[in-house]
Amino acid sequence: MQGCNRSQKIAICTVGLPARGKTYISRKLNRYFNWLGYKSRVFINGNYRREICGTECKSQFFDPHNEEAQKARNDCAKMALQDLIQFLQNGGDVGILDGTNITKERRHQIENDLKSQFNGIQTLWIESICNDSKVIQNNIRLTKINNPDYCNMNPEQATIDFLNRIKMYEQAYETITDDENLSYIKTMNVGADIIVHQVYGFLLSKIVSFIMNLHTYPRPIYLSRHGESQYNVDDRVGGDSDLSALGEMYAEKLADFFYSEFPTKEIKNEIIFFTSTMRRAVHTSDVVAQKLEIQPLQLKTLDEINVGICDGMTYSEIAQKFPNDFQERKINKLGYRYPRGESYLDLISRIEPVIFEIERSRQPVMIIAHQAILRCLYAYFHQNEIPEVPTLDIPLHCVIKLTPAAYFCFEKRVLINPQTGEIQQKEEFVEEFLRSKSKQKSFIDL
Amino acid sequence: MQQYKKTQYKLILVLVGLPARGKTHISYKLNRYLNWIGYKSEIFSIKGAQQKDAQLDQNIDYELEIDPTNQQFIEVRQQLSFQAAQQLVTFLQNEGDIALYNGLTSTKSDRQKLKSLFKEKLNLEFQVFWIESICDDPQVILNNINESKLSRFKEKTIDQFTNQIKVLAQDYQTLENTENISYIKLINIGKQVKVHMLEGYLCSKIVSFLLNLHANNRQIYLVRSCESEYHLLDKIGGDPELSAMGKQHSQQIGNYFIEELKGNKNITFFTSQMKRGIQTAEIVGDKLGIKALKTKNLDEIDYGICDGLTLKEIAAKYPKQIKERKANPLEFKYPRGESFLDVIHRVEPIIYEIERSRDPVLVVAHVAVLKCLYAYYHCNQISEIPNIDIPINCVIKLVPIPYHCLESRVIIK
Repeated sequence: MQGCNRSQKIAICTVGLPARGKTYISRKLNRYFNWLGYKSRVFINGNYRREICGTECKSQFFDPHNEEAQKARNDCAKMALQDLIQFLQNGGDVGILDGTNITKERRHQIENDLKSQFNGIQTLWIESICNDSKVIQNNIRLTKINNPDYCNMNPEQATIDFLNRIKMYEQAYETITDDENLSYIKTMNVGADIIVHQVYGFLLSKIVSFIMNLHTYPRPIYLSRHGESQYNVDDRVGGDSDLSALGEMYAEKLADFFYSEFPTKEIKNEIIFFTSTMRRAVHTSDVVAQKLEIQPLQLKTLDEINVGICDGMTYSEIAQKFPNDFQERKINKLGYRYPRGESYLDLISRIEPVIFEIERSRQPVMIIAHQAILRCLYAYFHQNEIPEVPTLDIPLHCVIKLTPAAYFCFEKRVLINPQTGEIQQKEEFVEEFLRSKSKQKSFIDL
Repeated sequence: MQQYKKTQYKLILVLVGLPARGKTHISYKLNRYLNWIGYKSEIFSIKGAQQKDAQLDQNIDYELEIDPTNQQFIEVRQQLSFQAAQQLVTFLQNEGDIALYNGLTSTKSDRQKLKSLFKEKLNLEFQVFWIESICDDPQVILNNINESKLSRFKEKTIDQFTNQIKVLAQDYQTLENTENISYIKLINIGKQVKVHMLEGYLCSKIVSFLLNLHANNRQIYLVRSCESEYHLLDKIGGDPELSAMGKQHSQQIGNYFIEELKGNKNITFFTSQMKRGIQTAEIVGDKLGIKALKTKNLDEIDYGICDGLTLKEIAAKYPKQIKERKANPLEFKYPRGESFLDVIHRVEPIIYEIERSRDPVLVVAHVAVLKCLYAYYHCNQISEIPNIDIPINCVIKLVPIPYHCLESRVIIK
């Protein structure tokens, strides 16, 4: 991937009391790294503990004076670290250790283990501090109640036990201090205050920016392609064609749909509205913009994939004129770069600033763009793997509403008939979440 | 300019810190960056206010007259600080987007007065972001004085200056959360950074930018890819390979760098993904024993429908575009291609990388892209970009130092 020094390994370790968003941060970072093309993996202390000590551990298990339990927990933590080290030794680029790591001793041990195993490894410690009881209660409600530790308890009992568990940790908690000589980031109260200490390096700087912009606001992201274009009708790729008659109808119906989604003026003014600089997207956006009385930002970054010398051809023409390229693309749609054009990997790289912008936003986001671009955006938020990107289904005349939540992403598809304005909705969330939980691997969490 | 988020509100960046903490340096860097990415930004300081005040003795450098016992100078400085704030307000009320304030802000009451002034006088929505530079490393402070202040001392000595700072330090009040302001504290040039209540797209960008700043005066070399087959045919754009002559010149450039870099292998080395860029970089890199990172961000400007044509052909086929381009060369976009503004946007991540690097930087790229990179370091207005001269077979060496940038050019025969 461009702009990165692959030879250096990176280990990121979280620090903090339970329910401070450590797993959330770990997962987000992991997603971001994998997206940028690095081999990244999260190693969750808690999962190791659950596998080895069972899931019936009551809060007493976490009492720092419970020697037997302490030893068991230390052993589990050591195993997690070992697996992380092995992962980095076998081709991994970034290992993320998701654990409480609340004592100086534990951190010192981990830092030494890592530094002794690798020459020139970069370590980064991320401490999440939160004193806002409302935020903590919310975290517990959203993420702990469904935790395997509590599957046999009712929510009230689970919450009480969990709060007791936190009290146990608090007894032994030592915040990171400068004399520990670690590179660290402390984020306090969900980003209200951030301290960055001795963090240098390309990737670590990117992490700092990323973390500074993280939040847990469940804001919706609306993705839609432009209405049907002339080139869509002719089955041609590339070009800068305008909307067909059907496409113009879609633009109208799309505007109606968004008008009903955002009822008040305040909400409308808060919307973050992006489109590309290509005619078909601009015209679709203009119709929507007029109805909602807001202005879209035209970003060249959202222009459709550049098909180079194949611009303006149909697929059969490409197959005829450039049979080798046609074959190559079939085999490796992800990495194949159109001569003088781009590949999907180039696109993924190109849209990174937009992804960053969307991550940062706490207001609803609306994007009217193109198929290949939306495949990339969709994949990132919906947590698809990169190889899936080129074949994701992003049909015309359909609005995809994504609502990323703590550990998963809600999706709703709204198919709009451009002629009749009839709407068909398809939701996908509960089943998806349950399915992913049942196949969740125990030690590591991809 | 539609591609940059024109924020609905104006932004004021206020610098806080004792003398010799790099405030002016930070303000210059930020101002340069913000103008480069398309905002109308300006600095308002005691120095600036003095230059605009015809009644004052311009032989006295009031910015440096920090003697806490000289009542007359204290009054003049307060007056100038106030004038600067007023000039800032006028600027934002009119065409300005972002204003940087480098005046008297060392105490809570100074800051409170400033906030009130803005609230009172500005009739539009604005946001204030405070940037504090803290330094307790005496060596760093000494370097700072030597590099940026010493030449301006008339009869003062460094010792006098540092003693005066020590007295000022007794009344200095660092930014606190209780003041209810959003801020960033840069401690010992980025060793530690504290951010409080960060809000908004622009402030977020500014923080990312500030995180990369450092005080190493390292060299930046800009080199065009050497002669290509298209050069010989007078065509623009395309993805041609180096001509035989081009390969030879690349060798010579490599030799130049062997001398220049003296065996240093810790070089931040970038090139584009175009054949001529890659080939030039490979030949130069082989000589130095280093490899370039290839990034599409450094690809030449997309000439759209004019790609692969000669200038004569373009004049014949697209006379309307030629006219448009003459009228507004900065914003002109080749149909189905890019404008200089698009290139600036594309090249921005590379600027971050160059800024971040404490090692010498070597960039092998192409005319339009290098114009944009060069402009970041050297030009005050991006409107100058189309006229910048980036000759072929020439190594442009830039060394950014406090407040400006040294430049030297070497033509490689």
